[in-house]
Amino acid sequence: MTEMKDSILAVRGLTVDFSTPDGRVEAVKGIGLDVRTGETLAVVGESGSGKSQTMMGIMGLLAKNGTVTGSARYRGQELVGLPPKALNGVRGSKITMIFQEPMTSLDPLYPIGRQISEPIVHHRGGTFKQAKKRVLELLELVGIPEPARRIDSYPHELSGGQRQRVMIAMALANEPDILIADEPTTALDVTIQAQILDLLKSLQRRFGMAIVLITHDLGIVKHFADRVAVMRRGEVVEEGRTTEIFERPKADYTKMLLAAEPSGRKAPPARGAPIILEGRDVAVEYAIGKGLFGGSSSAFRAVDGVNLRLRQGQTIGIVGESGSGKSTLGRALLRLLPSSGYYRFGTTDISGFDRGAMRPLRRELQLVFQDPYGSLSPRLTVGEIITEGLYVHEPELSRAERDRRAIAALKEVGLDPASRNRYPHEFSGGQRQRIAIARAVILKPKVVILDEPTSALDRSVQGQVIELLRDLQEKHGLSYIFISHDLSVVKAMSDYVIVMKNGRIVEEGETDAIFEAPRESYTKTLMGAAFNV
Amino acid sequence: MTDIVQAPAGLPETKGRSLFQLAALRFRRNRAAMTGCIMLVLIALFSFVGPLFSPHSYDQVFPSYVSIGPSLEPRPDTSTLQEVMESVAARARVTLREFNVEGEAFTATVTSEQPIDPRATRYFDRANEFENTKVVATEDDGRTLKVEGQVDREYFPFGTDSNGRDLLVRVMLGGQISIAVGLLASLVSLGIGVVYGATSGYIGGRVDNVMMRFVEILYSLPFVFLVVVLVVFFGRSFVLIFLVIGAVEWLDMARIVRGQTLALKRREFVGAAQALGLTDWQIIRRHIIPNTIGPVIIFVTVVVPKVILLESFLSFLGLGVQAPLTSWGALISEGANNIQSAPWLLIFPATFFVVTLFSLNFVGDGLRDALDPKDR
Amino acid sequence: MISFVLRRLASAVPTLFIVVTISFFLMRFAPGGPFNLERPLPPSTMENLMRTYHLDQPLWRQYGIYLSNAVTGDFGPSYIYHDNNVAQLIGKGLPYSMELGFYALILAVVGGVIAGTIAALRQNSFLDFAIMSVSTIGVTVPNFVVGPVLTLIFAIMLSWLPAGGWGDGSFRFLILPMIALALPQLAVFARLTRGSMIEALNTDHIRTAKAYGLPSRTVVVTHAMRGALLPVVSYLAPCAAALLTGSAVVETIFTIPGVGRYFVLGAINRDYTLVMGTVVLIAIFVIVFNLLVDILYGLLDPRVRHD
Repeated sequence: MTEMKDSILAVRGLTVDFSTPDGRVEAVKGIGLDVRTGETLAVVGESGSGKSQTMMGIMGLLAKNGTVTGSARYRGQELVGLPPKALNGVRGSKITMIFQEPMTSLDPLYPIGRQISEPIVHHRGGTFKQAKKRVLELLELVGIPEPARRIDSYPHELSGGQRQRVMIAMALANEPDILIADEPTTALDVTIQAQILDLLKSLQRRFGMAIVLITHDLGIVKHFADRVAVMRRGEVVEEGRTTEIFERPKADYTKMLLAAEPSGRKAPPARGAPIILEGRDVAVEYAIGKGLFGGSSSAFRAVDGVNLRLRQGQTIGIVGESGSGKSTLGRALLRLLPSSGYYRFGTTDISGFDRGAMRPLRRELQLVFQDPYGSLSPRLTVGEIITEGLYVHEPELSRAERDRRAIAALKEVGLDPASRNRYPHEFSGGQRQRIAIARAVILKPKVVILDEPTSALDRSVQGQVIELLRDLQEKHGLSYIFISHDLSVVKAMSDYVIVMKNGRIVEEGETDAIFEAPRESYTKTLMGAAFNV
Repeated sequence: MTDIVQAPAGLPETKGRSLFQLAALRFRRNRAAMTGCIMLVLIALFSFVGPLFSPHSYDQVFPSYVSIGPSLEPRPDTSTLQEVMESVAARARVTLREFNVEGEAFTATVTSEQPIDPRATRYFDRANEFENTKVVATEDDGRTLKVEGQVDREYFPFGTDSNGRDLLVRVMLGGQISIAVGLLASLVSLGIGVVYGATSGYIGGRVDNVMMRFVEILYSLPFVFLVVVLVVFFGRSFVLIFLVIGAVEWLDMARIVRGQTLALKRREFVGAAQALGLTDWQIIRRHIIPNTIGPVIIFVTVVVPKVILLESFLSFLGLGVQAPLTSWGALISEGANNIQSAPWLLIFPATFFVVTLFSLNFVGDGLRDALDPKDR
Repeated sequence: MISFVLRRLASAVPTLFIVVTISFFLMRFAPGGPFNLERPLPPSTMENLMRTYHLDQPLWRQYGIYLSNAVTGDFGPSYIYHDNNVAQLIGKGLPYSMELGFYALILAVVGGVIAGTIAALRQNSFLDFAIMSVSTIGVTVPNFVVGPVLTLIFAIMLSWLPAGGWGDGSFRFLILPMIALALPQLAVFARLTRGSMIEALNTDHIRTAKAYGLPSRTVVVTHAMRGALLPVVSYLAPCAAALLTGSAVVETIFTIPGVGRYFVLGAINRDYTLVMGTVVLIAIFVIVFNLLVDILYGLLDPRVRHD
């Protein structure tokens, strides 16, 4: 790779190694990158690609067991191997960073004003008092309302989006040359995501700093970056202008990533298919702030009067941001938590059913969770996990028959049946989600509620899981309720879409109608945030 | 990371390694913890099997050997035997002419101005050192006796205490009592704590509030002192001591188990089990209990040394098991009182005590590292 | 804040009440009494004694009498130390125990936090290993071993310090008992600090502070230390209560006229009132220090608000 003229950060032959009890792990294998003045470079890759560790290595922020070698020159000054004291002259003033988790990246014990002033005081001198004026300017700049009052707030008093704004204020404090943004919007809701990215864009225009955007989200990259470097397993597989990469990807991996954008549509259900699950006036209330002996407790309505009818073979997508009540609605429909309203499964009125009465129905009403790491009991083998439902619903089955069904279920979700004696921690996220799906389909259910089943997965894996779900649906005539905040996935999965906000339905309709002609302003905001950043 | 249909590399029908097996592997790699484990096994063998190989019992008193220091040489040594024999002769009112020791046997020639009654050999046997004394020859009309007998030689590698008891055997016995109290009291606290904590955590709500408020109140009771009161008032039996200590140490255990249960209840796999239609009891058995075991095991390794220390504290106050039984704590406090005149009385029991607690500590740390979920 | 303190003090009343009740009945249901001596007293004397101390009354009456006296600060006469009542005995002994305990507390906290911080910053180094080994010894060696060993070395062999007693109250007399008392707690503080410091150094906001080029002193002292001290502060309450109310072991070994011995002596002699007095004393200390620590915690952690 040739040295570029206007490169302000030139990375050459950079490696990052971690020594673990199981030996050395090479996270970054000798990569080269250039960051030019004022540009936005997106470093894209899936989890484990080494994209974050590259930047952490350059900034001297690796975990204790990590080592970095190679070269990273900032305006000619070598950063790799620089003692922390010398490195401190660069980081926080010339190169700054914002992180994925705004919840934990700020010290919970100090007011935000003080935290923003710290890099100012340390790099420019002066006192905290003198820095205050600058802090107020910065807070104003990043769009924190009432900066004079907020300056003394603690991080826990701010929302996630506001905290990320505070981080950005801190990053801009010393007018850096390069701002490294490590998945800056991943932990935020879509509408907030768009605001934060807009803010970064406008600040970049104003101050002219370069931005290195580390992300897994190609949607963001397309609208935000000038150039893209695609990373995979510690190597840069492709680098180039954003338009080029998106239009004419060269590397197979890049092509695969781009194709992994959820696509295709689901075949609509048969006309006049019977209603299999219905909920009317579904409401869920949580008591908040209850004392030891009752006392005045107020109720919070997580779901507030929702109506929903699911037909056989149909998929209803439920969309909303965190706190919209979409997951709670899913559990209420399965009668897994106390709720009011009228519920019908097939022709049976299940409104008054308690746990015992619901038990025989459980095999027909299944649930798949978001987090494939948390939803599998870590101490059971895969075989034990997926046959657990059989113990409850078909206790008379012989051991051999259970085993046979486990093998069949694993084959069905595309896993090697030999793996049923292994434990969940030995599988990747996508494989675990397949196990969770196998656990549901082994019971031959009629309805499966899918609660963000793809949100914790990498894009390329997401696509495969979606395809699997669609295949299973077609094969077994399943009906799905698909809960997600990810609109592109919902579009690929559902026949009908419900948009929720604060426990209520904002808008609902056929998928095409909702996506092409949203009526409500909230739906429009969501769409705008998701599809044209 | 692509996710094309592929199982983790491995042969068909391979067994996966469970988290416990992985933890065991990690544990075995931890040298300090393994050393601790081996030390504990050795100390347990020493305490429980050792007495079978010792000719002395823990309450056997050797009046001739009060407060003698530790030595690998047999007692008495030849030079002291001469003195002992002389004093024996004096007691029998005879004069010692000749005295020889060969191995386990001795021969002595005694004379007197009067004929000696052969029954005088009883004087010889009365000393701890000699036994089976026989007259082999009578000379000078009975005024000179040649006697033969066996020297009873005792080994006291740890010395003896101020009552003339073999310290080695006492340390073994003390180990038995201390280890037994430690384990049994921990089991008691484990039992109460797990049941209380799991109930409180699983039922939750108001029941949980009330149960935890009760625990908080108990925390402000001066508990160590309550143990003292209970032991003083109800007697100093072994059973009572470990029951009382266990009944005092369960509070932390209850809190830990409750916290675990609460955290597990929120985990998605419990939600998944509910969605599958498992009953509460099936969930507790299959999902809650197996997942609380790790932290509980770790905590037990913290409780055992705490209990052993508490027992030793009671013993120091003279409230431990009753003599002639003993525990390491009792031995140490005895040693502490004689630190100037007989330091070995402190050194030996204290060494075993400290090595045991040290080993437990390392084992506990090792288990924590091996089972720590953050490390997964 | 004031209402928080008041509420906490109000909730301390039922706690104390329960503590007193449990202790009272636990003690009384046990066999034996204060005047069951080896040589039985003549029946007339016995009867007299029982009457003087209300021991002839039914138990619930005795309980009532005790409670009504206790709220006025009268904890009754000591059955064994005839010249003093319980309040006087505690009043005499407490200053000694508190002075000694105060120094021990300072030593334990300062020493433990410094040692733990050093160990955490030099994690897995020889220094870390050394500090942790010493602290393991501190936790595992009981103070009735440490006490005599210290006496043997510094008082008898080297004759640097007095072997025991309070003397004129000068600091020389306090050094050995202070060390014996502080060592186990120092070790606990060192381990706690090391653990929470290592955890604090691995948090995201420490990474932020480093990413912004703050000097390592600022990172450690301002950001890591404050968070790391929170669990240490929580342990402060039980530790301070234990140290300030005297230790039976240390006071016995170093013949210090504090209150620590009273509980054991009281228990052995079945001196009901003296035992009850000590129980109440310790419970009050525990409650007060829990409150103080909660207030301190609130000052250190803005997420905890007492209002």
